Parts: sequence; structure tokens; C-alpha cells
Amino acid sequence: MTRSTNTKVAFSHLTSRVKQSIVAVLSVTFGISMYIFMNGFMTGVNDIQADLAFSSLAHIRVYNDLPEDRSDLISDDQMPSQLVNLRHPKVIQYSEGINNVDREISILGQFDGITEITSQVNMNVFFRNGSTRVSGVLNGVNAAKEDRLFGMAASMKSGNWLDLDHRSDGIILGVGLAKRLSLGMDDNVFLKTGDGITRNFKIIGLLETSLNSIDNSKAYVRINSARQLVSENQSYATDIQINLTDFENAEAMAAQMRQYTDFKVESWNEANGQLEAGNELRNYLALAVSLTILLVAGFGIYNIMNMTVNEKIREIAILKAMGFEGWDIVEIFLTQSLIIGLMGGLIGILIGGGVSTIVNNVPFNIASLETLPMAFRKSDYLSAFVFGLLTTFIAGYLPARKASLIDPVEIIRG
Amino acid sequence: MENTYALKATGINKFFHQPTEFQVLKDISFEAKKGEFLSLVGKSGSGKSTLLYVLSTMDTDYEGTLSINDESLTGKGQNELAAFRNANIGFVFQFHYLLPEFTTLDNVMLPALKLGRKSKEEIRQSALDKLELLEIKDQAHKSANKLSGGQQQRVAIARALINDPAIIMGDEPTGNLDSKNTDIVFDIFRQLAKYRGQTIIAVTHDDDFAAKSDRVLELSDGYMVA
Repeated sequence: MTRSTNTKVAFSHLTSRVKQSIVAVLSVTFGISMYIFMNGFMTGVNDIQADLAFSSLAHIRVYNDLPEDRSDLISDDQMPSQLVNLRHPKVIQYSEGINNVDREISILGQFDGITEITSQVNMNVFFRNGSTRVSGVLNGVNAAKEDRLFGMAASMKSGNWLDLDHRSDGIILGVGLAKRLSLGMDDNVFLKTGDGITRNFKIIGLLETSLNSIDNSKAYVRINSARQLVSENQSYATDIQINLTDFENAEAMAAQMRQYTDFKVESWNEANGQLEAGNELRNYLALAVSLTILLVAGFGIYNIMNMTVNEKIREIAILKAMGFEGWDIVEIFLTQSLIIGLMGGLIGILIGGGVSTIVNNVPFNIASLETLPMAFRKSDYLSAFVFGLLTTFIAGYLPARKASLIDPVEIIRG
Repeated sequence: MENTYALKATGINKFFHQPTEFQVLKDISFEAKKGEFLSLVGKSGSGKSTLLYVLSTMDTDYEGTLSINDESLTGKGQNELAAFRNANIGFVFQFHYLLPEFTTLDNVMLPALKLGRKSKEEIRQSALDKLELLEIKDQAHKSANKLSGGQQQRVAIARALINDPAIIMGDEPTGNLDSKNTDIVFDIFRQLAKYRGQTIIAVTHDDDFAAKSDRVLELSDGYMVA
């Protein structure tokens, strides 16, 4: 009974000062739509960064690292009474690459949350066309799996990426590399490995990823062709590349995998610390900016609710004289600010979504982008709404408390 | 019924601390019977309004004891007192203090809705009865700020009556009214005291008004002199 009465008083306050109520709603609307826009934009930028980075970098990479440095094998306390002469200590790698890659893949492939796992045979080679000689990296890959990992097929400038699996003499070059070699489609390229083995390949495709490190130096062949070049058998690989459903899990997953394999397991964060730092910093920036905006909106509401309290102070006094308790008064003013918060929140979500959509269509032709990046995450919209309500709640509570503490005698006697 | 007192005040002292220490009420003791119509008079600054607000339970900064309907009210908390006022005391002020956006009927219903002892329909009916008593039932659905001053004051009285309080307190209830409306308000108070047994305590400057009441309490310099 009291509740509906309080609500009715609250509504009468809102409707008797339509202009102020609209201004209050607009300040919440502005705060929430900016919050949504800022977070959507930052998340969009982060996603694009991740997409770009993960177009050449797998979430987890497994490879044969140098063995541990044991050059200080003999320490004083082990053999205190003996004199030892150690000459030319070296760290020697007894095995190169991963020799039984099928076994490793079957073990690591059992982990949950893996979207794709593939093996590669990578080496440094010289590419030759007549007298032009360029050094670069040759990747022996399984074309279908490589495409699922890095989306290679989408970056093809000419030719078809998946043809690689059917052509043992086919090679796909980065556009920059092809240009440096003055070669085009269907030309032959001459290749020489570090061990001096040479072979001719036919160019069946050109790759343009917009990442110079790939376009200017990388070439791709079928994995078995690469194995032949290094004289290794069918179960040899230099790298295992793994993608996960959620790249944020990479570090934890890598730690688990280390228990099941002797090879080096490296998550993307280890390999590329600056990428993670960038992501984190942008998230903080978005948070700081959007919270500041919400704070400003909060002050707007605080100001307007304070005005209402001052304007209605006689009404409050008479309500208290008639027996309304402090809490009733708080409820009356909190109801008002929550209605403002709800309306501002809903309109803010619509406007925030609208502005995001517009910005998402602004042309932006740098790197592989065509328009400004924007993410539309439900969680951003939800948290904007929750933060908005929280702000209005606090901004409304302070004047409400002040109203509940007024002394009716003082006001009525004047 | 061994005790017929509606209100009993014993040894009320009150001080103002600002701007200087000053004693407004000096050892005031009196009783009001059920159904008695009391006028509080005195020069301005004599402390009569201050006394009324102490009696109303809104002002709790005093010494002495106050009990209404045999319930001691001294030392109770603000929210408890608010609930007590809601059920037992009706107020009529010099200015009506109606909620301007509410209709006449809604204004009258407000204290009863807060009390919550009856259903909304019963409250509505009872509010219409009170408005009829005050001969303004025809204005029930107008919004309060569309009424004339005399009508607004009558609505305020109807609002004070809605919970059938034991005591009705007025702070110069006719102060803003012309003589015709003053007479109407006085007659209403007279009837309430006589036929419903409600106690009326009204602060007034109007000597005629005071003279017609059952008993006049006069304050002078904080003392009760009559």
C-alpha cells in the first residue's frame, strides 16, 4: 500500500517537471551510449589486432628447443677434492625437429578446447631466379589445416590455396617475395636449402596478407615436399601449431601440455608479450574513459535530484508531518532516479548501438581493414546498463538521504 | 474508562541554542480531555507554536514528558513517532500544503494509504465521506492547485481527519482565511470535538476564534499563564 503511494508521489514529481526529467534521462542516455561505443570500439580494435596477429601466429606452438644449458656440470661441492679440467663446453642439440610428430599430435590433440592442430616443416632457404638471390623462409604445410588455422585461402591474391595439397611441385609465394624475384604466376623458382639441396618449384599462387613479414619473405609448399628437402621421413616436423576456441586460455593450456610432451610448448603471450600488453592497455583506457563519462552523467542526475529535493522540500516536510518515515522519503526519490536510470539506460543502449553501427561503417582503408572496427558484445551492453543503474542509484541516493533527514518543523515554521 | 485525558504534558522545558541560549518553554504542564476544543494563544514569540510542535511529536528536542492516549512518547525514535503521528494526530497548518499534482481525493487518501489499515476502496469511500462532511465532495477529482484558498484549507482538514485521529492540531488553521471561511472551519472543529470526541488543539491569533473554544491556554514569555 505504502509502496504504491510512494511510487505515485515519485511519478508526480517526475511529471510535474518534465524538462528536468528529460535532461536527467538524457545525461544517463549520453553516459551509457558513450560507454557502449567506447567499449565496442576498443574491443573491436583488440579483435582486429588479434585477428591480424593470429593470421601468422598460432595460439600455441610446440617445437624442439635447444636443450637446457648444462655447461656448469661440475660444481665445487660435488667433487670437493678433485681437480677437473673441462675444455670447450658446448650446448649440443642431438635431435632436430620433432621426429614422431603423429604421436605428439595424437596426445596433444586430446585436450579439450582445441579447434585445430597441424604440423609444419619450416626452414630457411635461398630463392633464386637467374642471378637474383633472396633469402627467405619455406613452410611445408598441410594446406587444408593451415587454412583453418590462419585463414590463408582468404589472403590469396591469385591462385587457389588448397591446390597446394595436390601439387607436389607447387609453391605459393608472398607477393613481396615474388616481386623481389621478378616472378609471377606459373613461373619456376629455384630453391636451395642450408644443406645445399636444390629443387625447382612452380608458382601456383601469390599470397597477400598485408603483413610485410609474411609477404616479403615467406613461401609455402606441401609438407611432404619440404620433408624431402631436409631428407626426413613422413613423421618429421619442425613445429606443431595449435589453435584454441578461446585464445585467452593459451597460457593455462600450454602449462598443462608441458606435462605430456618433452618438447617446448610456447603460448602466444610468451612469444608476443607486446600484443597482450596492447590489449590490456586498451581495455584499461576504455574502462577509464567510460567510467569517467558515467561519473559525469551521475553528477548530472545528482544535480537534478538535488534541485527536486529543494523544490519539493515543503511537500516532503508535510509528508513527514503526516507520518511518512525517513525510508518512505528515500524510496520516493530513489524511485525517481531509478526510473530516470532505466529510461536513460534503455535509450542509451539503442543510441549506443546506433552510433556503433554508424562508426562501424566509416571507411578506413589501412592494412587489411575496410571500415573502422567495432565489436557488438552482449556483455558490454549489459554492463553499461548495470553501471548506468548503479550510477543513478548512488546519484539518487545522496539527495534522497538528505531529503529523508530534513526536519519538518524547521520547514513548516519557515 | 478511568482516564479521559487525550494528551498530557508534564514539565515541558525547551531551549533554543542559536543564536544564543534561550529558554522558550518554561515548565509547562497541562492536560487535554477527550473531545475538548483548546485554543493556544499568546503574543508572537511567546512560544505557543513551539509548544504545539513539541506536542505534535515532530519536535523531540525538549525536556519533560509527553503522553498521548496514555502512550508515553518521550524518547521514541523518529520513525516510530512518524508512525504514531500517522495513526493518532491530524494536522492543519496555516498554509494547506496539499500536493499540487494530486487530485483533491488523492490528497485526502494519502495518510490512510500510508497507514495501510484499510483496503484502497474503503479508504476511497472514507475520503469521499470526509469531503462530503466538509462540503467539497464536488471538487474531489479536481487537482488540488485548481481550488480556492478556502476550499484548499477544507481539503487539508479532510486530509487531517482521514485516519480518525484522536487529536487534531492546528497551527493558525484560519490564519489565511476570510471571516466566512473562518466560521466554516470553526464550526467543523466544533462538530468534530462534540460529536466525534476528537480533541482539538489550535494555535490562533484570532481572539473571536479563541473565545468560542472550550478552553483557552495563554502563553507569555514561555510560561503558561492561563
